[in-house]
This record gives sequence, C-alpha cells and structure tokens, in this order.
Amino acid sequence: MSDRANSFFRYLAYVLELILMFVLSTTPGIMPELFGAKPALLVCVALTVAVFEREIPAMIIGMIAGILTDLGYSNSIGVFTISLTIICFIVGYAANNLIVAKFLNYLLYAAVAVGLLFMLYFLVRFIIPGTRDMWSYFTAHILSRMVQTFLYSIPFYFLNRFIYFSLNPEAG
Amino acid sequence: MKEFFQSPKIKIFLSVLLVLIMLSVFTRNVENNVISTTLNTVTYGMSKVSAAASADSSSKGYDELQHENELLSKANRELRAKLVDYYNVKEENTRLWMFYGLKKSHEDYTLIPSTVLRRDTNDEFGSFTIDKGTASAVSVGDPVIGENGLIGWISEADAYTAKVVTILSPQTSIGAADNATGDTGIITGSAKYAEAGRTTFTKLNSENKVKEGDIVTSSGASGIYPQGLALGEVIEIGYDTYDSSYYAVIQPYDEIGKVLDVAVIADFEGQGEILKKESDE
Repeated sequence: MSDRANSFFRYLAYVLELILMFVLSTTPGIMPELFGAKPALLVCVALTVAVFEREIPAMIIGMIAGILTDLGYSNSIGVFTISLTIICFIVGYAANNLIVAKFLNYLLYAAVAVGLLFMLYFLVRFIIPGTRDMWSYFTAHILSRMVQTFLYSIPFYFLNRFIYFSLNPEAG
Repeated sequence: MKEFFQSPKIKIFLSVLLVLIMLSVFTRNVENNVISTTLNTVTYGMSKVSAAASADSSSKGYDELQHENELLSKANRELRAKLVDYYNVKEENTRLWMFYGLKKSHEDYTLIPSTVLRRDTNDEFGSFTIDKGTASAVSVGDPVIGENGLIGWISEADAYTAKVVTILSPQTSIGAADNATGDTGIITGSAKYAEAGRTTFTKLNSENKVKEGDIVTSSGASGIYPQGLALGEVIEIGYDTYDSSYYAVIQPYDEIGKVLDVAVIADFEGQGEILKKESDE
C-alpha cells in the first residue's frame, strides 16, 4: 500500500474508534458505572493517538474527541475541547521530541494528562461556580473517573500502537 | 526548542486554539447555534439507533423475556393470534397513556413526548439529551416530566435535540410547596445527595412543619413551572449551616438516572405570566 493509502486507513481507524467510543459512552444503559463514575473513553483514544502521531494530527484528534465529549454534556464547545486540543498537541510534541512513548513513559504521560484534564474540568464546573459539597462530589465521582480513564487507556495504547505500526511502515 | 516556537506548527496550533475559544464564547447559551445543530444532526441518527437498541436490550432481562415468550406462545396457541411484540407494545402504551392521562387532567398542557437520546459520562447530575428540539416547539426553560412527576427543565435546545438539566442539579431552582403543611421553599440539587438520586427542598422557614413522608409539588409561583407537579417525597430533614436554614432531602418518584421516556410541557395556562407581570411593573 502507498504511504498515502496507509495514512488514510490509519486516520479512518482513529475516527471509527472515536465514533464507536462516543456511541458506547453516550448510549443510556450500555456502560455500567463503577464506583459512581464511567471512564471518559474518548479521552483514552485521544491520548493514545497523540503519543504516536505528530503534533498537528494529535491536536486534530484531540479536538474531535473534545468536541464529542462536550457535545454529550452541553450543546457548545467547552472545557474538554479546548483542554484536549492543548494537551494532545503538547503530548504529540513531547512524545516525538522529548520522551519517546514507550509503555512506561506512556503511563507517565497518561497520568499527568488525565490528572490535568479532570482537575481543569473540576475547576471550571465546580470550583468557579462555587457548587456546594463539591469535594464530596470530587471524592465520589471525579477521582473514580480519573482512575478508570487512566486504566482504560492502557488497552487503547496497545490498540493504537498496533494501528500506528501496521499502517505506517516508516515508523517500524 | 526555539525553532519549534517559530515553526508553522505552533502558528497552526495557536490559530486553531483561538478559533475554538471564540466559538466557545460565541456559542455558549445560544439557542439553535450552528455548531450544535450541525453536530447533533450528524450524530442524531447514530444516537437514535443506539438508544433504541439499548432500550430494547436493557428493558427486560433474559429470564423475564423467556417467561414472556412462553406466555405469548401459550396465548398464541389459545387465541391463534400473531401478537409477537404484544408485551413490548403494551408497556410502551402504558407509558403513553400516563402522559395522555396527564393531558386529560390538564387540558391546558401542550405535551411533547420524547425519548432520551443519550447520556454522557459527565452526567453527574443525571442530565441527558432528548430527541426533540425547537423544530418540535421545545424551547429553553420548558419543564420536563417523567412518568411520575417533574424531573427537570430544558437548558439548551437546537433544531432536533434538547438538553435536560434534572432536579438533581444545583443549576435547578424550582419554587415548591409541601402539600401537607403548605410550607414553601426551593427545590435545588446538591452534589452530596445527587449521587443517591435525591434532591433537596431548601430555604425552609425556621418554623416549618415539614416531616418525613410529605409530598412536595411545584408551587407554580414563578410561572415557569405549572402548579401541582409532583417532585418527590420528604425522606429526611436537615439544617444547613452554610446558609443557616432548614432543608429537606427529597426522593423523586422517578429514577432520574435511568429514565428513558419523558414529555416536555411546551405550553400551559399561566406560563410566564408572573414574570411578564413583574417585568411590566
């Protein structure tokens, strides 16, 4: 297959992954809640794509994942779109130029990125509006969502690693 | 590193970020905004199919279906009728009759039955999207009812979908009254109780007589919600040191986190009248 065809099928695979995770996340009754929360599957996809791709494709995948995540919550572009666009761009740059995304390094990227993303979300959604009992919500939901998103991203790392190396002969 | 900051990549990144920030600012709280209408139109069919599939698979367990199947087979033999999906239709019919019953008892209500299209992982207070929008006369602020009472209100609407903020959310503020004692207060969600699917009846007078088991309904005081819609039952009374007032914990009659069929009250007698009077004055 030519390089162009490889790239096309690779990005198609990422987009299909995003659509599938959007459906899984938003359809009522499909994903069970564990410890009061569900993982943010679109964040898992965006982060694991970002560690393999270069900055601009990583940023675009992050932006699409963010828009879909925000769409599930509110009818406007919000905190997930902007923060995932920034985080995926930075992860894309760092993984290509600073710390290569081997598995252990990926865990480090994921821990920092997921932590930052959900703390930012908590800040915008709860701290700034001054929601009452916000810390009980943080311990009951946000922490669980952070941990689950981090753990769920591990199989996505291997899936997207497989897609990247299978459909990008230069990288092998 | 210096080269990176002068590269076209960083310029593309900053331009995209600027566009996203501008879109975020200009589309927030705008009814029928182009972005949400476009995105919801693109994802509408997909969400509709998956929501329908999920409703079919989650509404009944295997044993129940098997039992139902046996009953239907027996009924088939006895009656020689071909009613394959009889019980599913009957169940849906019961729900629709409930809304019809409400319509009959409140002829002034304009009800728009709708289905929950999707719930998000970020649905911390049970918010969800329904499959009706401004094209079906749904507008922001309209009350949303479940099978047993008021469960939320429309916070955002585009042409084909609308967001519902539930009574579990702190964004909600509904004038309510205790049916037994006449005490009035505000129904608003609390992060502390939302997890258990409960809401709170706040700002109660220090001499209130609210007690466990009382039924709380909308007071209709603001003209935003009709009077007399059930909100739930009092299960606990507490004192809020935060604003030095009494509150009651309310258990809604509907399981808000799992509700699949709802109806929007698009119009009712007296809607907006009090607000209008206040603005005229």
